Amino acid sequence: MATVKVSEAEKVYILHGIRDDLRVDGRSCEDYRHMEVETDVVSNTDGSARVSLGHTAVLVGIKAEIGKPRPLVPDEGYLEFFVDCSANATPEFEGRGGEELGIELSNTLYRVFNNKNSIDLKGLCISAGEHCWVLYVDVLLLQCDGNLYDAISVAIKAALFNTKIPRVHMSSDDEGGKEVELSDDPFDCVRLSVENVPCIVTLCKVGHRHVVDATLQEKACSVASLIIAVTHRGTVTCVKKVGGGSLDPESIFEMTEAGKRVGKALHAPLMKLLQQEESLGKKREKVGFLG
Amino acid sequence: MPTDTKRVRGPEVSQSPSLFDCRPSVVPPSHGARADGRQRDQVDVRPVFVRCGLVSQAKGSAYIEAGDTKLLCSVYGPRETERKDETDMKCGRLTTDMRFAPFSCPERGSWIQGSQDKNFSLMLQESLQPALCLHKYPRSQIEVNVMVLENSGSVQAHAITCASLALADAGIEMYDLVLGCSIRQDGSSYVVDPTYSEESNWSSSEHQGGLTVAFLPSLNQVSGLQSDGEMAEETLTAGIRTCIEGCYKLYPVIQQALVKAVRRAQPPPPES
Repeated sequence: MATVKVSEAEKVYILHGIRDDLRVDGRSCEDYRHMEVETDVVSNTDGSARVSLGHTAVLVGIKAEIGKPRPLVPDEGYLEFFVDCSANATPEFEGRGGEELGIELSNTLYRVFNNKNSIDLKGLCISAGEHCWVLYVDVLLLQCDGNLYDAISVAIKAALFNTKIPRVHMSSDDEGGKEVELSDDPFDCVRLSVENVPCIVTLCKVGHRHVVDATLQEKACSVASLIIAVTHRGTVTCVKKVGGGSLDPESIFEMTEAGKRVGKALHAPLMKLLQQEESLGKKREKVGFLG
Repeated sequence: MPTDTKRVRGPEVSQSPSLFDCRPSVVPPSHGARADGRQRDQVDVRPVFVRCGLVSQAKGSAYIEAGDTKLLCSVYGPRETERKDETDMKCGRLTTDMRFAPFSCPERGSWIQGSQDKNFSLMLQESLQPALCLHKYPRSQIEVNVMVLENSGSVQAHAITCASLALADAGIEMYDLVLGCSIRQDGSSYVVDPTYSEESNWSSSEHQGGLTVAFLPSLNQVSGLQSDGEMAEETLTAGIRTCIEGCYKLYPVIQQALVKAVRRAQPPPPES
């Protein structure tokens, strides 16, 4: 992870500011930085999204492929997550440097989506035990400026919203052989319901308070943070403590409550924005990466 | 290689026959007593057997057995850091490695560490680190190796307990012991210290998931927390409280094992 050096005086300044609910960039403790979401940015994918949060930039591409269902759950498709930490973000990621962080992030994503409601996995099955859709969710970190988890989860939700899976049906011939048939119309696609896809909120414990969407400087002042994945209904699909410190049980309860409140409030504007963008269709002004 | 036409060649990839078992899997009942006779909705942890100092070559070691879950942990160090570029002049480093023996689970695993094992190792490291006085060991590293011999549920929680016991046995300075406990929420009821079948059989009800907590009992701090599945926030907070209670139940057993290990290492002076 990109590291910043923060002097003792700077730490005291940040800590005292947070104590008085005023952060270095003028936000209060539960405010996000400016967030930009754009979908359909890479034409070769089935669904893609770009999210920038402050100076953190994340690109997510989703590719759908036909695979074999897992033997334990023959009537469901599955998702595969892969997080790549590009050396563009920080020179420390060069070579295999970003691998550890990438594995940590993708393992957390598996955990977040490890429940029955997030994505309709049964809908991804084409024929039980034989064919199913496998969604490869590839996350690329382009810039790191703190709060990777939140940016990645929003980008994944946007990309899943944007995903168009070609419609297929099974046909069987006289001898009992089965074949997968692809629809002739390239615009005949299935969309995923992303209503229940959770968003991750990271709460950083700084001093006696906690902040949402910490910058790298604020993160350097904290020893432990809590990540909480919240759905639009307010249920929690994953909590995890990250970092080398420990937390008081009471502050964990406070943080989960705050995380639920913030996460719940994040869903409605995001869905509105995605639907608005979708309704514009081809008239939409594309921003791209230099916007 | 010439192909043998007289034989029917098996498929290249093989899977455990248990996956193709046609019998309906025994779904554990979601009410009433549990399969091993423990109580539901109560902090009813499995009786544990713990022992320190079994591996003679290691600085400290511990073995824990809870039901059929069996783990072995050994601690090496403090010694000079292997990776010179990461030498910290002020603070020691803690490295953890948690592995599953290939025969530990119902399906055979591979010897190569998968990403799941790395996930376990990382949580182990983050849970143990707050309890260690690492500033007393500058420029050195402490290695913790956990081997899961038999997986019968709640492996992560018991690995944390076992590793902290081994660290204490090695004489590493610590603020507190770290105890682990996990629960499985299933609808409105929960089971503490779930077994493998309770962990892997998901009934269809909503609001279910697993939760593992690492706790420092005398400092009252939570050093590790991880959950999956889908739960309401209130259920989650209640679950954390239950896990903490479970840790307190484990505390005297671990203390006793440590005292016993110290007594054995230093026999009382003969009365004269």
